[in-house]
Amino acid sequence: MLNIKNLEATIDNKHILKGLNLDIKSGEVHAIMGPNGSGKSTLANVLSGKTGYAIKGDIQYNGESLNELSTEERAQKGIFLAFQYPLEIPGVNTNIFLKTSLNSVRKAKGEKELETLTFLKLIKEKASELGIDEKFLSRQLNVGFSGGEKKKNEILQMKLLQPKLSILDETDSGLDIDALRIVADGVNSYKNKDNAFLIITHYQRLLDYIKPDFIHVLSKGKIIKTGNADLGAQLEKTGYSNLVK
Amino acid sequence: MKQYYDFKIEKIKDLSSDEIDLRKKNLDLFYQTGFPNKKDEDWKFSDLNSILSKNFNNIVNDDFLTKEKNFKLIEEFEHNFILLCNGRLISSDFSHEEINKISLEDFNYKEEKNLDKKNSLNFLNHALALGGFSLEISENYKLKKPLVIYNNFSNSLKETIVNYKNSIIVNEKSELNLINYIDNSSKENFMVNIIENIKIKENSSLKNILINNSKCNGYFYKYAKSDLDKNSNFENYLISSGLKFNKLDMEINLNEEYSKSSVFSALNLVKNEHQEIKTRINHSAPNCHSYQKVKNVLNNESKGVYQGKIFVKNIAQKTDAYQLSRALILDDAAEFDAKPELEIYADDVKCSHGSTSGSIDLNSIYYLKSRGIPEKEAYQMLINGFLLEAFEKLPEGELKNFLSTKLERQINGY
Repeated sequence: MLNIKNLEATIDNKHILKGLNLDIKSGEVHAIMGPNGSGKSTLANVLSGKTGYAIKGDIQYNGESLNELSTEERAQKGIFLAFQYPLEIPGVNTNIFLKTSLNSVRKAKGEKELETLTFLKLIKEKASELGIDEKFLSRQLNVGFSGGEKKKNEILQMKLLQPKLSILDETDSGLDIDALRIVADGVNSYKNKDNAFLIITHYQRLLDYIKPDFIHVLSKGKIIKTGNADLGAQLEKTGYSNLVK
Repeated sequence: MKQYYDFKIEKIKDLSSDEIDLRKKNLDLFYQTGFPNKKDEDWKFSDLNSILSKNFNNIVNDDFLTKEKNFKLIEEFEHNFILLCNGRLISSDFSHEEINKISLEDFNYKEEKNLDKKNSLNFLNHALALGGFSLEISENYKLKKPLVIYNNFSNSLKETIVNYKNSIIVNEKSELNLINYIDNSSKENFMVNIIENIKIKENSSLKNILINNSKCNGYFYKYAKSDLDKNSNFENYLISSGLKFNKLDMEINLNEEYSKSSVFSALNLVKNEHQEIKTRINHSAPNCHSYQKVKNVLNNESKGVYQGKIFVKNIAQKTDAYQLSRALILDDAAEFDAKPELEIYADDVKCSHGSTSGSIDLNSIYYLKSRGIPEKEAYQMLINGFLLEAFEKLPEGELKNFLSTKLERQINGY
């Protein structure tokens, strides 16, 4: 599904990704761990098409090069980024945002846009699965939401848009244990053989709930070690310092 | 600078010799200074003389004898209406109301006294005004449906100025929701110069909405003076994007205790459009409340201006006055000027003001785009969200929905 070859990314004269290689197949869950400043969020931003980065190397997504695609085109083709810090957008009603988002994706896929009533029924269902109070949906997007509510809202968007590749950028940060479990359940219930996940995290605890097939350690812009789910527990004990020389 | 206007009292029919004399005096006063320019402090950000001279060859006045023309009624909600064409009262419909509670007449120029003489446009209005209306709501009467004033202007107005006066009185314990609706898509350039006097009596309420429905080549100036009695409420909403030029010059007099006024605006200005909101809120009694929130989005080569003055008299203790202007500037060639002024002579008051201008948050655009929303739509969503705040105090319902839809249409382009 995703093939990254020799990816380099530079922003404001800072060379952040320095030749990163990664292959993700359908049905797989990959986790990226690594110390602060290793380039984890940059990888997420670059994959979602955030502007401002000078890019070298190639990213193939389902056989198509991503380099020329805009952020919205990538989203329409099934790449979803759950933000580390979801933005507060005053004046924009959450329901209207969600409906516009879903219909933009549906339209791009050549599917019929949903009428308001059909949409509301759908969103109500998805929200209750994540224990999101309906009242949140009529509020301004993320405005005054707690950290946990914002993260749940990201997962709600993921479940609504049904992406092929979901990138979760430190979705576990700022979550209490209950919220962490709800978010993890949301991911696990969506996981299937046709989609894939790239989970960026600092800590093992999210990976206790969402079991990854691979764990990669990112350091100084490169993947320096790849292992199975046991690598996370090992890192938790020893830290990154043994790996990062 | 070339002379780009030529006004004649002789063009107005059926005037008594006294009226002719008075009008001529006012016209002479106008000619002494001509249209206001930036040397006048009140017009420093809106050099009308320069704007008009660039866009008109020869503005004239006329005695408009207009027949009723076709106009499109608003279908979204039931309402009463008054139809004005080129400022002349053509027809009205109050079928939702008890008819004896409402009085509507042509504005009576013969009884007019105490003329306001603020600026040369007022002189010009006194010299040339024709038409307009006097509306009075009886005491103890709340209109069941809003009143829409359809302001129509005919295409033959090219290079012409329309001047008129209105008077609106809402008597004790009464309530009126008024929508000034401009719907004119004429490509011809024309000018409109209005003086409006509003009186809101004790325990009464007036909602005053100005909305423009289509792009037009009109240059508008309105001087609106309002007087509020005890415990009355006056709310203004301005959604007038699409006019070439518009200056609203509002004087709101909080004359008696516990009166309240507010001004909200939501403007999305595009190429060569210029709008100014100028307010003077006079707190002349204790315990009065005034609130202003002016929001502008400025696209390529547009200009927005807000001059807001709050004046608190020494006896006006416990005044609560607030003003805020916020502008989103989307283009280097766009401009927003704000001049807040507070003049306070009482010592126990709460007065605050603020003004910010900035560009759109690109991270928010990125967030929306990352959810599949195309860039243009993402911008429109943010602009819409920014401006919609102006309706925060309006109750949910068909009127708010109507205004929101119109605002969205203004943002997305007519």
